[in-house]
Amino acid sequence: MRTQRVKNVAPLLDPADPGWRTVPVEQVSMMPTPLAMQPTPYIRNSWEGREYGRVTDLAVASVHDGRQWALRASWRGVSPAGKDFPDALAIALPVRGKPVLALMGAADAPIHFLRWQANKSVVASQIAMGIGSSARGPAITCSAQARAEGDRWQVVIARPLGGAGDLAPLVAGRKTGIGFAVWMGGNDERGGIKAFSIDWAELALDA
Amino acid sequence: MSKRQVAMVMDLNKCIGCQTCTVACKTLWTRREGMEHMLWNTVNTQPGAGTPHGFESMGGGFRDGVAQPGQRPSVEDFGKAWNFNHEEVFFGGKGEISLAADGGKHGKGPNWDEDQGGGEFPNSHYFYLPRICNHCTHPACLEACPRKAISKREDNGIVLIDEDRCKGYRFCQEACPYKKIYYNEVEEVSQKCIFCFPRIDEGVTTACSRQCPGRVRFVGYLDDPEGPIWKFVTKHKVALPLHAEYGTQPNVFYVPPLSPPKIDDEGNPTDEPRIPTEYLVSLFGNGVHDALKTLERERERNKRGEKSELMDLLIARKWLDMFGPFQKHPRDAARNRPIPQNQQKPRAPQQQVSEIRFYTKEEFKKGGRA
Ligand code: SF4
Ligand code: SF4
Repeated sequence: MRTQRVKNVAPLLDPADPGWRTVPVEQVSMMPTPLAMQPTPYIRNSWEGREYGRVTDLAVASVHDGRQWALRASWRGVSPAGKDFPDALAIALPVRGKPVLALMGAADAPIHFLRWQANKSVVASQIAMGIGSSARGPAITCSAQARAEGDRWQVVIARPLGGAGDLAPLVAGRKTGIGFAVWMGGNDERGGIKAFSIDWAELALDA
Repeated sequence: MSKRQVAMVMDLNKCIGCQTCTVACKTLWTRREGMEHMLWNTVNTQPGAGTPHGFESMGGGFRDGVAQPGQRPSVEDFGKAWNFNHEEVFFGGKGEISLAADGGKHGKGPNWDEDQGGGEFPNSHYFYLPRICNHCTHPACLEACPRKAISKREDNGIVLIDEDRCKGYRFCQEACPYKKIYYNEVEEVSQKCIFCFPRIDEGVTTACSRQCPGRVRFVGYLDDPEGPIWKFVTKHKVALPLHAEYGTQPNVFYVPPLSPPKIDDEGNPTDEPRIPTEYLVSLFGNGVHDALKTLERERERNKRGEKSELMDLLIARKWLDMFGPFQKHPRDAARNRPIPQNQQKPRAPQQQVSEIRFYTKEEFKKGGRA
């Protein structure tokens, strides 16, 4: 997966901006998180035989301008209003070491998540070192804009390039890994009940 | 498992359904925004739908040790805090207007079927069932939470939700078979009865038990042979858990209610009690038979002028004896703590009569001052 260099990211923070049409889109395959990996017997028992994580693919494109990085994701899964849990999208980036995405990282290999949810205008920065461990992540100026077009979400999440401490590095001319998770709130999806990209995809940022 | 367990025994023969316990809890703990609908303590009429309505068919708990799926009760299931048109009625200047809850579009309240009960005249019957979180020994809520946000205190078995860890997933709400967990939509966390742990830690019993005018609620350690709980539960076996079949090992126990005899068609008393024993068994299990027998036997002894430890305990002549090691007055417990710097100045006189309102979390921490 490639992050194209553009002159200015600012107009592209709007998911409807025509500038996105020229940015190559890649499909990321998603699957439901395995039931056996759900952390408590209650969750395993109550979701057995119930469908979840039905989003099978995510259309992803990304750009940077040397300062800001923006990713546009689009998928089918707009929940009706008035449900208990919001639709949501999370982008995972490894902070250091070689974390296993499906295990949500480890003590010596944390994962940094940027999480958008449909009922909030802010992006949450979270750090995880294992399943059920996610906590508030490093302070970072992020933005998210979302629009629902029919049953498709179009969401742009942006953050500055760079990275230090627990902030996952995103550096022009370098490669890293990227992973995704999608929750369909209308189907009561929250926590580990979600669709996720099975493993890291390689993310290469143009120099 | 916790080293010790605090527990409560409620004598259903004495509950008058006054809801003082409910109000004591409400004013002490659930006055933050998003808590309007929360009643960590509820008192319902039995037979009845309870709070939340129909909670007994909402699932959760364990069967043969296996966690069972459950439902999340909605705010409507719990019963909303209604808004009334008092302004309009008292000061609106219109003669025809009458008092209406939520503009007449209200749903059911938390105590909707109060005093309806069951049975046909002349054998109609009811009793009150107060409920709090049972601070279970095998808490379904705790085991369901993927965030490890719920813990059971090692020293006293009180089950608590860590609001900093909670992410509002509400698996606990589904898993608790007693439906004693509420969701705060403003703070986006689950909240529930805390067994007044800050009071218990200071040797003061819970607000619901201390305020109860019926002397219904006994508090103490489950294993304390000197305290009231052990005597009711283990020694005399007259206090039984509600729905033990849910498999969570609750630590709130009930002394089942005795009732006057059923009347036959000719109007003569029969051998059967007015409240059907099978109904009590459906709530408190088979132990009801022996518990009722013991209560009757001990009552007869008392009538004959013989001594009965059980009756003496149940009568609760000495109010403080009901609370085992938690007999301290809240004021005395407070005296032992230094008054925080920012609260040492005299308070500014109140300019106007304060209205009833719910505080933000920050205001609440400052004792409700902005
Ligand atoms: S009554 Fe429900 S909320 Fe309370 S400890 Fe038991 S399972 Fe948890
Ligand atoms: S305060 Fe006591 S008597 Fe009144 S409803 Fe509560 S438990 Fe029953």
